[in-house]
Amino acid sequence: MTKIFTRMGDGSPLEMTEAELRGDIEDGISQAVEKGDVPPLTQEEIEYLVELFKRDDRFVGVPLGKEVILSYDAATLKIKRHALFEDRINALAIYERLLGADTLELCHVDYSYKVLKPIVSYEQATLEQALYNTHAPLFYGAMPNLGLYTQPDGPFPNPMELLPQGRIEEGRAAYDQMVEAAVEDICFIAEAMWESGADAINFDTVGASGDPDFKASLMAVERLRGKYPDLPIMVGMAGEFVLGMHGEMYYDGVRLAGLYPKDQLALAEKAGAAIFGPVVNTNANESTPWNLARTIALIKPCGETASIPIHANMGMGVGAVPVTDYPPVDVVSRASKAMVELCRLDGL
Amino acid sequence: MSEAIYQKAIDAIMEADQKLALEAVRQHLDSGVDPMELMNKGFIVGISKVGDLFGSGKMFLPELMLAAEVMQAASQALNQAMPAGRESGYAHIHITAATVKGDIHDIGKGIGIALFRANGFTVHDLGRDVEAEVMIDDAVKNNSQIIATSALLTTTLSEQKKLEETLKKAGLKGKIKTMVAGAPVTPRWANRIGADIYAENAHEGVQGVIRAIKEG
Repeated sequence: MTKIFTRMGDGSPLEMTEAELRGDIEDGISQAVEKGDVPPLTQEEIEYLVELFKRDDRFVGVPLGKEVILSYDAATLKIKRHALFEDRINALAIYERLLGADTLELCHVDYSYKVLKPIVSYEQATLEQALYNTHAPLFYGAMPNLGLYTQPDGPFPNPMELLPQGRIEEGRAAYDQMVEAAVEDICFIAEAMWESGADAINFDTVGASGDPDFKASLMAVERLRGKYPDLPIMVGMAGEFVLGMHGEMYYDGVRLAGLYPKDQLALAEKAGAAIFGPVVNTNANESTPWNLARTIALIKPCGETASIPIHANMGMGVGAVPVTDYPPVDVVSRASKAMVELCRLDGL
Repeated sequence: MSEAIYQKAIDAIMEADQKLALEAVRQHLDSGVDPMELMNKGFIVGISKVGDLFGSGKMFLPELMLAAEVMQAASQALNQAMPAGRESGYAHIHITAATVKGDIHDIGKGIGIALFRANGFTVHDLGRDVEAEVMIDDAVKNNSQIIATSALLTTTLSEQKKLEETLKKAGLKGKIKTMVAGAPVTPRWANRIGADIYAENAHEGVQGVIRAIKEG
């Protein structure tokens, strides 16, 4: 019986029969339907995925004319992981001129809005130089990262110490304070960089610290768009659902905890985001076909309902891309092609 | 009758209703059935469902903590009715938990600890940015059967390997089991460094520890 080559969610090689492949795809879809309250993929879409994995091409792509925008977050930080010790402006040029990036992002190695405050004037100067040296739209980006607001890194008690002790109200109160402080910091940096000429602002890994993180981000988007109606803000998520660390945080009357991509999108749009980046986490214990089918089922409703562009996160550990430092091109290209063609994405 | 009491125990945990939990304990003890039966068929089933809901984003950390308090109260009430030397639940299993040296990310660790405590385990939380030697000292001091570590960064993963090597040098490898978790951690990494348990998420971590304990 012919075996089909693919990979596990950690990137290790795997061979499957067609029946096993089909079973994994159907199982991944079932899990998405159950967890994310989304419709299943159609039989036609399942057949598309089966055929995609059966192909023996090392690399696959979309047809001419069907290409999408390639936007990169934290580019000036990530390039150093590959032992390319370029300064940030050279890094942006490499992304623009060698890697096909359609948008660029300048960021600092301490990739959080809070820690940028004391160095914002240096960042503004670097941004100005970067603008002189690149052509593509240049974002400035960082993480809301509410994790930095707790002691000893910040002023507030750590809810992750309080909550496990059953001190729930104290933990929630700390989160409430953290949200207020984070909104101020995010807006301070975003305003400074926009005023200095950034083409857009990226809020990266929104929700990494759970529902307070998501709430602070939505509030900051709303405030910034109120002050600067032309400021485009990209909201890229951290995980497939919003962790309920507080549990009782609301935005526009919607409880934030537990929201999956399509519902996260609705609130990001409402707040005023210009681009939304949904995330689905890769499960290292499952195959790439399982992960990809699940990812597509969870993200497809975003493309069907969005009134703003959707740039799905496709990198190590998300978007069915394996959890490994150098994700293999066979599965990365399959995942990218399928995401673009089945989810009606505007970018990756 | 027993089935109704087991269901009451499950509901008590899922609804974080301590009064209902203690009522289930009283009714069960009155029936004369082994107290362990209520723990295994009622409360543990309930907390396992809570773990599933938490893992799906349908239940949240504060609710998990309230369920944990009810679980603890139910365990104490059942233990009082147990013969000396016998104990229901997992309170006798000690776990030393920490985020590895160089890593300050503690949300995943906090969620894991919350779920372990909810399941009745005794957890010693050493916080974040913790040296392997400190973890081992704590495990020895508290007689922990498990050292659980979290690493969020690819750059701090190597600390999990260092823990395995340090345990070997101390002659404790195998005596103290290790559990590894964190965003870049994979089953392949766990196998490569010789960790005993891999946790994709908090719920899987609890199940992995329970399996490891049963296997001895």
